[in-house]
Amino acid sequence: MSTDMGGMDVVLRHVTKAFGSVVAVNDLTLEIPRGLFLSLLGPSGCGKTTTLRLIAGFEQPSGGDVFIQGRRVNLVPVYRRDFSMVFQNFALFPHMTVANNVAFGLRMRRVPPRERDTRVQEALALVHLAGFEDRYPKQLSGGQQQRVALARAIVVRPTVLLLDEPLGSLDKKLREEMQVELRQLQRAIGITAVFVTHDQEEALTLSDRVAIMNGGRIEQMGTPRELYEHPATDFVANFLGVSNIFEGRVIARQEDGAARIAIGPVQLSIGWEPGLEPGAPVRVAVRPEKIRLGLPDEPGGLPASLRHVVYLGATTHFYLEGPDGASLVVHVQNVSPDTGLWAPGDWVSCHLEPRSVFVLRKR
Amino acid sequence: MEWLTRFLRMRWAAVLVLPPLLFFLAFFVGPLIYLFFVSVHDVSQVEMYGTRLTVENYVRIAGDPFYLFIIRRTLTAGLAVSGLSLLIGYPVALSMVRMSPSRRSLLFILLLFPLMVSNVIRAYGWIAILGRRGVINNVLSDAGLIQAPLLLMYSLETVVVGLLTILLPYMIICLVNALLTVDRNLEEAAQALGAGPARTFFYVTLPLSTPGIASGLLMVFLLTLSAYVTVQLLGGAQSKMLVSLVYDSVMTFVWPRAAALAFVLLAISLAVTTLMLKGIRPQRVQGKG
Repeated sequence: MSTDMGGMDVVLRHVTKAFGSVVAVNDLTLEIPRGLFLSLLGPSGCGKTTTLRLIAGFEQPSGGDVFIQGRRVNLVPVYRRDFSMVFQNFALFPHMTVANNVAFGLRMRRVPPRERDTRVQEALALVHLAGFEDRYPKQLSGGQQQRVALARAIVVRPTVLLLDEPLGSLDKKLREEMQVELRQLQRAIGITAVFVTHDQEEALTLSDRVAIMNGGRIEQMGTPRELYEHPATDFVANFLGVSNIFEGRVIARQEDGAARIAIGPVQLSIGWEPGLEPGAPVRVAVRPEKIRLGLPDEPGGLPASLRHVVYLGATTHFYLEGPDGASLVVHVQNVSPDTGLWAPGDWVSCHLEPRSVFVLRKR
Repeated sequence: MEWLTRFLRMRWAAVLVLPPLLFFLAFFVGPLIYLFFVSVHDVSQVEMYGTRLTVENYVRIAGDPFYLFIIRRTLTAGLAVSGLSLLIGYPVALSMVRMSPSRRSLLFILLLFPLMVSNVIRAYGWIAILGRRGVINNVLSDAGLIQAPLLLMYSLETVVVGLLTILLPYMIICLVNALLTVDRNLEEAAQALGAGPARTFFYVTLPLSTPGIASGLLMVFLLTLSAYVTVQLLGGAQSKMLVSLVYDSVMTFVWPRAAALAFVLLAISLAVTTLMLKGIRPQRVQGKG
């Protein structure tokens, strides 16, 4: 049954999961190489948690196959799969001390007591909780409970670490600290991690790769930078940060291979992409911080009128109405005290930097 | 202003607590003290109790093999009924917890249904089944399997079975309520850490349901100890328990002995309660040792 999967720790092949008539995961194929930190990112109901539970074995696929380290595990029960999991609410055993919680997995694997003690100590030291062995979970803060859950998961040295929104219940500051610690820990022990979250910032901070899920499918998978700079779909463009979407038209393919497109009165040359056709309409998107605002008479810009200004200290957010009535958002760095002193009602021109304009393949 | 709101809140709490507290003092603690007062007096032919202070009533109970035998039987019945109801009730409770809420409430109603029938009527029901001319004996003799009717009534076993049918629902309700509070995530966490179904149950589910086990055992045990009608009708003269003796003493106007027996019963209840709580340690689940 075991097949070589070229260093892939987790492989899902055409996995579908339906609950009654609701399809939670739809023909999903995913390969996770050894040592990678992958985030499954998406809004609630997108199937990310179900995907994680399919890997864990808490759910059985309605179709397709799940492999862990080349072994097909469709029929392998949860407790015989080689993984650990950190749950959203930590799921620490309330009737056991910290040490017993961490030792639980080792006890189940019949690790001899002496080795068990050493490994529990090591794991607790790794999460900075040495000395907390005899406490009960109720006596710990949220962050400490989180760390116990993490220690309990890594102490068994699993192939794969599954994390189901483990930082969701922590406050912002603690969450940011834990993100850093989690990432350092994952790198230090070189474990493959699958992290489920609905928080884009968290996914971008932590991951080597992010898979953006929507409607039970992966919309796009790539490095955080790829996803942010080159989102392939409307959904990705708007889920990862804000995007301004423009309707334009392809004029021609230039001699240098670039595409000449027109957005209203403005013409731009952008990288050619398969699917573009001279004369056909095109949808492009630009990040709010990649639009420059200029005086209304400055050539080469799209005219827009200012509707609303939000001053945020380091940046100012301008909400504008474009030529065809579309609303636009522009973020401007406040580099000098007199940057962007426009007021609602003013006319400005929006300048797009061609390299920051990306083509959206589908809605 | 803060002290004022706190003061008012305390006043309100006092106002709410006071009526039940007074009721409890007047109609339970007061009579209990009086009962103890009666139990340490000698027996009088004309009054409720004599004039002499004495511990004779207790000494006689402790020294009389008959009373000791009855105490032992009472304890045996209590432990048998509570133990059996736990063994029978736990699997039922476990499967009820796994059901959908609507099916579960339907089963709850079914469980509560027997409780709507009076104990007296149910005891007579048992007599109609187990008696000399009961259903079982009639069927067996009509089938020619027995010559003389079997003696199915008036034994400790009959009493235990009779009480079990009455008290089992209490146990199941206690267990279901406790098991419902066990986070399913914890069972999944145990499995994720390599525990199979059996070890998940013994390491996680069972210990986390100890509050329900403790309250179920105590409720069933204490209700068995204070059961009268069922014991009297199914046990008859041969299978008396402590409560029957209290009743008999009252009926023969030996009030001080009845009072002393009542206190022995109370002492047994308290002792067993303490032992059970020490043994099961339901407070572990709250994570404090």
